Amino acid sequence: MYGPGYGPPMYGPPPKPPVHFSHGVHRLHLATAVINAVGVVVIAFVLGGYSLLLTQTPDGVALALTPAVIARFLVVMLPVTAVAAAIGFWIWWSLKFWISGDDLVVETGILRRRNRRIPLAHMQAVDVVRPLTSRVFGLAEVRVELAGGDQAETKFRFLGRPMAEQLRAELLARAAGLPGHTPEAPERPYWRVGFGTLLGSQLMRLPVIGALMLLVALLAFGVVFKELGVLAAALPVLLGLARGVIAPLVMHTNFTAALSPDGLRLRYGLMETRMQTVPPGRVQAVRVVEPLLWRGNGWARIDVTVAGYVGDRQALSSVLLPVAPRDVAMRMVGLVFPGTNAEAVPLLPAPRSWLAPFRKGEAGTDDRLFVTRRGRVCRRLDVIAHARAQSVRLTAGPFQRLLGLGTVHIDAPPGPVQVAAEDRELGEARAIVESAAGRAHRARATDIRTERWAR
Amino acid sequence: MPPGSPNILPPGAPGTRPYGPPPPPPAPNGPSTPSVVPIGARAEQAFDPPGGMAWVRVSPKLTWQRRIAVLLWALPVTIIGAFVLSRTRGLAGGLIWLALVLVACAVGWIVAELSYRSWGFAERADDLLVTHGFFVRHLVVVPYGRMQYVDVTAGLLEQWLGVATVRLHTAAAATDARIPGLPARDAAILRDRLAQKGEARSIGL
Repeated sequence: MYGPGYGPPMYGPPPKPPVHFSHGVHRLHLATAVINAVGVVVIAFVLGGYSLLLTQTPDGVALALTPAVIARFLVVMLPVTAVAAAIGFWIWWSLKFWISGDDLVVETGILRRRNRRIPLAHMQAVDVVRPLTSRVFGLAEVRVELAGGDQAETKFRFLGRPMAEQLRAELLARAAGLPGHTPEAPERPYWRVGFGTLLGSQLMRLPVIGALMLLVALLAFGVVFKELGVLAAALPVLLGLARGVIAPLVMHTNFTAALSPDGLRLRYGLMETRMQTVPPGRVQAVRVVEPLLWRGNGWARIDVTVAGYVGDRQALSSVLLPVAPRDVAMRMVGLVFPGTNAEAVPLLPAPRSWLAPFRKGEAGTDDRLFVTRRGRVCRRLDVIAHARAQSVRLTAGPFQRLLGLGTVHIDAPPGPVQVAAEDRELGEARAIVESAAGRAHRARATDIRTERWAR
Repeated sequence: MPPGSPNILPPGAPGTRPYGPPPPPPAPNGPSTPSVVPIGARAEQAFDPPGGMAWVRVSPKLTWQRRIAVLLWALPVTIIGAFVLSRTRGLAGGLIWLALVLVACAVGWIVAELSYRSWGFAERADDLLVTHGFFVRHLVVVPYGRMQYVDVTAGLLEQWLGVATVRLHTAAAATDARIPGLPARDAAILRDRLAQKGEARSIGL
């Protein structure tokens, strides 16, 4: 045994000094060029290259690897490979990025240079994504999200994994106004979702159970009556189950949430691992969902609307916590809207009427939050901070007006969570509108954290 | 998984009441806000202008814009429908179609007027209120600070009538705050004024 002070023996190369993105110009990992080139070659092979290996014989098409055939194949494919490699390398060479002051600068373009400056203060999120293929090579992709539009995303694919994490840490530190060489903010684990819990939560949903029963019934019918036609009906059900159960299962495997000064850090994924940082100030609205069958276990899920994620990415990143005990979920809501307690907000039920005899929505507000609760079967608690409200709307359809009812919407940017107090008495609804507008104004006046991220 | 096995809550994790003073217990229409509409206000006052103000109404040309639009739709519908029906069902079919279209036009004619009367907006100190809708009534309150941009659009028909539509965009797609049927010059002035107010109170997302 070595005594203390000797340290572990050093094998292999010494660790590289940390990279500072504010010094010098940086490029993606060189493997990117190879990956791009290989992709082009594969496409060329599929589109036409393979036919060069085949020969027309009297019996039909056959694969005969005679020297002539191989020569013909190489004459075509070698130049293609060379061109692909050159282009891949050129693209890799032409993409440069660095941090200059408060901006992240990305320079791209083969023929025409394009220089994009991203103000770090406008950054909405920084994700590190590792698709399965790139994980094999130790690569990772860094995605920088900006508010607004599908084009407002900058991708760095691919970087070496340590470099990706460093870039992410430096972007976050600089966005918070700290010097770039600040070590990554420390984090402490908050919650981990076990696989059993995740699997149970995905199966214990009424639509899933219904679909499973339908599937079993169909298969039993097929076996008993020796009728293969049921497969045509069973297949869509099976696909639906795969989409509804297996996809979220694969996506949220190993879900962990951790707290750090720059926001919530979420890590998840089986095939494609993601590391997502959600700064509290960027969360627009939150929904705590409790399906009927989960309530026996006291489970809840949190959906979230984050500005900056649009379209596909919105759907991918809309879950803040796939399943957790209810009190953990409610604490998470308190972390997302710091200094508030959504459960302490007094809720007033909407008047019951023949139009909605069962739907008993409740709504309430304090100076920071607007909270609504609805749903008998699947209970939902929607929370939006007044400081995040974009506008307040009152709508009343013809039937609602007949009953003297109206719906108050507190508008958030597009996302899975939209907050509305349904079927309130019209006079009360107008009072809610006025009070929400006033509270939003005061909340915005005191809310200064949006200027700098996560300070 | 047995509850609580690998799920560790650090001892320092904030509790249900993490920090800050306990939230005050106001109701949605609590007395802490200077609500313009008193509690228990009558339902028919729900879409009234804010206290002490009157809705700024839009130009009556909006009615004519809608009516002309109705006629422009009705013309091809009448011709094609009547042609097809008179071929298949004889003259009676064509006449019934004509009558149906006329009734629809009459309804559209009246709705255009009612819809025009429902439009109104008011500029408060910190927000813009827009109301509209005859069948489904709407009231939108948009804080100036939330406006991302304001634009003025005028279609061919609007240009011909000399009116324009001012539209406010916030980060929320649902906001839908537009004011149609403003005289073109007023629309430009309103846009500039709103943009100015928005800039003065601008806050990020």
